[in-house]
Amino acid sequence: MRKLLFIIFFFAFYSPISDALGQSAETMQATAQAFRAAVASTESMLVTIESYGGVGTKQGKIGGIRKQGEGNTTGVLLGPDGFIITSTFNFLTQPLIITVVTSDGVRRVARPIGRDDSRKICLLKIEDTTDLPDVSDIERVNVGDLRVGQWALSLGVGYGDKSPAVSMGIISALNRIGGRAVQTDANISPANYGGPLIDIQGRLIGICVPLNPQSSAVAAGVEWYDSGIGFAIPLTQADTLIERLKDPETRIHPAFLGVRSTPNTEGEGMFIESVVPGSAAENAGLEAQDIILELNEKNVSDMLTLKQILNRFESGTETQIKFLRTTSRSDDEQEEREEVQQPKEITATVRFLPPPKPKEDVDLLEPPKIR
Amino acid sequence: MLNRNQHNIKRSASNSFAQSMGNSFRYLSFVAVVATALACGCLIENGFGQDNVLPGLIERCQPKMAKIIGAGIGRVDGYASGIVIGADGLILTSQGVFLDGRQVRVELSDGGSYPATILRRNRTLQLALLKIEPGRELEYFKLSDQAIGKKGDWVVAISNAFRVANQSEPMSAMIGIISLRSTIEARLNDRDVAYQGPLVLIDAITSNPGASGGAVINSQGQLVGMIGKLINSSQTNIRINYAVPNTTLKQFVDDKINEAESANLSASDDTKLAGQADLGIVLFAVGSRNDPAYIDRVRRGTPAAKLRLKPDDLIVALDGVQIGSVQEYQKVADRLVPGVEVSIVFKRGSELKRMEITPQIKK
Repeated sequence: MRKLLFIIFFFAFYSPISDALGQSAETMQATAQAFRAAVASTESMLVTIESYGGVGTKQGKIGGIRKQGEGNTTGVLLGPDGFIITSTFNFLTQPLIITVVTSDGVRRVARPIGRDDSRKICLLKIEDTTDLPDVSDIERVNVGDLRVGQWALSLGVGYGDKSPAVSMGIISALNRIGGRAVQTDANISPANYGGPLIDIQGRLIGICVPLNPQSSAVAAGVEWYDSGIGFAIPLTQADTLIERLKDPETRIHPAFLGVRSTPNTEGEGMFIESVVPGSAAENAGLEAQDIILELNEKNVSDMLTLKQILNRFESGTETQIKFLRTTSRSDDEQEEREEVQQPKEITATVRFLPPPKPKEDVDLLEPPKIR
Repeated sequence: MLNRNQHNIKRSASNSFAQSMGNSFRYLSFVAVVATALACGCLIENGFGQDNVLPGLIERCQPKMAKIIGAGIGRVDGYASGIVIGADGLILTSQGVFLDGRQVRVELSDGGSYPATILRRNRTLQLALLKIEPGRELEYFKLSDQAIGKKGDWVVAISNAFRVANQSEPMSAMIGIISLRSTIEARLNDRDVAYQGPLVLIDAITSNPGASGGAVINSQGQLVGMIGKLINSSQTNIRINYAVPNTTLKQFVDDKINEAESANLSASDDTKLAGQADLGIVLFAVGSRNDPAYIDRVRRGTPAAKLRLKPDDLIVALDGVQIGSVQEYQKVADRLVPGVEVSIVFKRGSELKRMEITPQIKK
């Protein structure tokens, strides 16, 4: 009898699921309605960022997609103090002047302040904060509550209307890029970099940015536009980060080690082909032909693992590096190296530095002075 | 849609339900009932309280996924995704150069890394079967005999596209629907299309490096298919997002397909005679290879002459393939086999004529 009751009980609960899995017109419409409601409830925080002047990038295009500085970009108003969070991607042209149009349709002057190149986000500050739209009722999703597979919507005004373009997807993965980002298959592209990723209840998940775990180049990640892979920087637990970025002097850079290496063909570790002069690696005492065994107490045997460990750090932070010295400098000639009988294991502290800037690169958020 | 029904049900309700489920389990000793409940438990447990049934399904699939790392180019490893299809360590993935190296490694979701032996490869279906010795029972996808998934069904694709996940990091999930179940027109772009066989087209963007070998599941967590090897047309630059259907995977795993047979399924590949076929048609040679395939003259005593093809007839299709240019005609004509009848469609005036033509051996 209990068995029978259980089965009835079981199917009573099972059936609504089966219904939900079927795609009746009602559930489809309900979902669409939920999408619309979610977008509507977050529109007050969207700002359209307009920029004037600035240098064009060399190629005129980044990732072959769009000329920079053409068209408007998206940002998210954080509160009544006039701070806007957006992506550094939107300022590759170093605009001289930035204005923003808040959701009430008012155009205001904004200035760039702190930025984080490791997450490709930055803050803008609206100078005149009178009568800013109220965004206090927009909740943020706790990143710990996010689940892979839940709905995610990316918004952006980059296509040119005041109302944002919406793209639907799911959360594809958590803890990507050294724990900095969540991954989604909603379209994330130059049209919505800097815009929000929201959940189906209209809560803010994060800020859409171009990222690539294998590269920290300034526009890396743009090449994955429309490839079903996109990233957003979650905003909960980012409060301390946002506080840091409110300081106009803040520049957070990705961690750069400064070795050219290849997997060691004769055993564990990464064989160092060359060390960048003045880099963190050189400062830690690494030399060409050393073999990196561990970084941050984790085994390193391929490029990806090395890069992924580095992604957990930012410039200015420190960790342990363990490497094997298989050669020694011969006395007479500086460049000549001889293999030693007993390879020596060395552990050193490495303090990461920012990646070297390309020669022509100028500080993106510090426009050149007008004479 | 999957999720709106559950959306209104509070999480507390699901918790108390889960507890009552737990209590019920204690009372019951009927193995069969428990087994059924377990099989469907994932749906119940995760279907409520969340705004979507997918999170639970995806979590359940992650332990059945494998990262395949093999030979690479330069300093970058070759990589792909794979699915576990046997508790003893049977892994299914797509065929590729990354399998040709000294060592192929399989990383499971717990971060464990195992050397793999290649049991079987099929170049026509672009599938490979690997075996690892995990030393424990693995969770695995069951391969059904029945085709899973209909056009329009929601699917989730789980893969390691772009190798963004490493070691124990979970793979990426994408949502889409089944666009079409079809057989690829292998002859259309034969040099571009590595895969020849039935496929499930999906609209999740899976045609990316590293995604092949990933799982495509339906909203019940059943395996619809495996993400196929990248197909990229060099002419149009179009990529096809598709899965190799579960039934084809099953046939491959059960060793019911041999290579020659599967080759016959889709394309006759008689290499001995290829290029030796002659129709007797001479196209206008003046102008570019992109010009339409107009007949300049028909040689006497050839198959084309027998069909009374004439100068100025425009060849529109040959062997079922649309012919847009001299170049395309040449490509198809080179592949014909002497003695094997094919269709030819040509335009004369405002009329389209379809005939069967049997190429002869080149003299």
